[in-house]
Amino acid sequence: MMNRRHLMQALSALGGAGLAAPAAARPAVAADFAAAVATQPLLTPFKGVSDASGDPFTERLATRGRWPQSLAGRFYRNGPALFERHGERYHHWFDGDGMVQQFSLAGGHITHRGRLVRTAKLQAEAKAGRFLMNAFGTTIPGGTPGTGPDSFNAANTNALEHAGRVLAMWEGGSAYGLDPSDLSTQGPVVWRDDLRQVPFSAHPKVDPQGHLWNIGTSGARIVVWHIDPQGALAGVQVGDLPYAGGMVHDMAVTPRYLVVPLPPVQLDFTTPVGNGRRRFALDAGQPLRVLVMDKADISQRRVFELPPKAVFHVGNAHETADGQVVLSYVGAPDAWFLDVGAVAMMKGQLAAGGASSTHIARLDMTSGRASTQSLGDTVEFPRIDPRRIGLPARWLLSAASWKPEHLGNHSLLHGVQLRDTQGGVVRRFDYGAHTVVEEHILVPKPGQRGELDAWLLGTTFDSRAQATVLNLLDAARIEDGPIAQATLPYVLPLGFHGNFTAA
Amino acid sequence: MTTRRRLAITLLSLLAGAGSSSAAHARDCATVEVRNVRAGQGSLMVAAYTDAASFGRKPVLSMRVPAADAVTTFQLCGLSNSAVALMLFQDLDDDGKMARNVLGLPIEPWGSSGTPGMFGPSWETGRVERSDAPIVVSMSL
Repeated sequence: MMNRRHLMQALSALGGAGLAAPAAARPAVAADFAAAVATQPLLTPFKGVSDASGDPFTERLATRGRWPQSLAGRFYRNGPALFERHGERYHHWFDGDGMVQQFSLAGGHITHRGRLVRTAKLQAEAKAGRFLMNAFGTTIPGGTPGTGPDSFNAANTNALEHAGRVLAMWEGGSAYGLDPSDLSTQGPVVWRDDLRQVPFSAHPKVDPQGHLWNIGTSGARIVVWHIDPQGALAGVQVGDLPYAGGMVHDMAVTPRYLVVPLPPVQLDFTTPVGNGRRRFALDAGQPLRVLVMDKADISQRRVFELPPKAVFHVGNAHETADGQVVLSYVGAPDAWFLDVGAVAMMKGQLAAGGASSTHIARLDMTSGRASTQSLGDTVEFPRIDPRRIGLPARWLLSAASWKPEHLGNHSLLHGVQLRDTQGGVVRRFDYGAHTVVEEHILVPKPGQRGELDAWLLGTTFDSRAQATVLNLLDAARIEDGPIAQATLPYVLPLGFHGNFTAA
Repeated sequence: MTTRRRLAITLLSLLAGAGSSSAAHARDCATVEVRNVRAGQGSLMVAAYTDAASFGRKPVLSMRVPAADAVTTFQLCGLSNSAVALMLFQDLDDDGKMARNVLGLPIEPWGSSGTPGMFGPSWETGRVERSDAPIVVSMSL
């Protein structure tokens, strides 16, 4: 009947993924945040939303400037949004339940809709009126046991419309499917019955032919997903990680390879915090490994070693004629943001540290040698022309910070920059110190081919107006700032990532 | 719970070795209340252990109970010790085993008496002393 050994093995595997284990801190007190944020207007978005107040919707946003008629489609963003229940508050930004934002652009009109992803977790906690499940950075006393990764799934990291459905993605469990017409939750995506609850990470890459590639990791295992342009599972492979139990957040693709940074950052959910011990620390004695796998057979692979860095995001990768893979990524000297910065902001406190910079690595697939160069800027959220994913791309777009007075005070970003990865030129626009700049993306202008024949589309939080703003810039004239803006009549929680789907 | 279902569970309990006299029945039986059951989906697979040495290896009693209601209650008879630890999983597809995905992660709900441990139950976290009160088990989300 019951095979207890199998149950224990299975639960141990789950715990090893950092999902069943209790996090390191009990919930915070919502009122403490409210008192602290009163003096920190930049941090208002960290108040988050309530599922009792309904999902935000505005049929027609107030606009300034000229929104091009030819810009038509749906811009999605996702991020942690619900932080408080029953007077309790999460400690870590990454804990919040995901809300997908959809900006529908047509004929110069913009409609906004935001909806919390109705995960199993969210539904159970809404019914209970309190948090039930342990989260990434918060222990819920007496927390409910989870069946599998999706019991903890917050679906809060990225949103991508692919093959007619919106994928709301987390790092440790299934993607949740949403209906593009109204963002209603369809449920966790089951690509195949034996793949239920297998992690489908939050940074898939869609190649120029429409094929989606993704990874998922659990303990010492890595899963590679290949979804065809029609949204069907085209292949799945399972392999072993050369560095187990670490944070694996993003990956790049080239026509032949999958390129996965494996930073030496262990996620320790089991040891109590104290005596200076950190939950998420970079092990400076370990290299930043980069796992490069052949898409056709992931057992054909090379593991490169670079100086240790904490890495959330990659920009792009491409292959060269002489057998190299060139990878752009954003690396930080430690895991300060993960361990400290993302917690401080949830307390309503500004804190500075852990600045991350653009890096360009060259990985020689023939010799196994690798080198990397830091470009010395302070950036996050790198993006490229989506038509060049996996191919040589000259321009790298990032949210950035460069003013010393800004850098010295906190880790928020105040501008956007386009970096010429070939010539070294950096072109910027500064939204101002009163603004929190979120990820911007490149949206190619219809019928045009050049990398800078594109718009830059992204959201900001204007702390003076206490409003979220959607911005449109011309990539060729980034220094001029927004050519059009749309202001929301409410504050959205700061998000992580998003993507545009042309109408 | 329907009369027919109660009868079936009682029969299962008897088959599992419950005592024959009413006094023995009372002494040897425990009422088990399972919460957060996915109603109408498969069966609850129950295993009972009465000491640390056999925990997880050789149950003194095991039974299958229809996963009838969100709160499913049944009698577990044939117990001799005052201390018992229960382990359950909900066999949603009724194939007799805990389903796991390709990575080995469990994907069927499970539960334990006592306070389930971080990495699953143990004798120490699962043991409870039998009394007149039901043994409560909450299935995982």
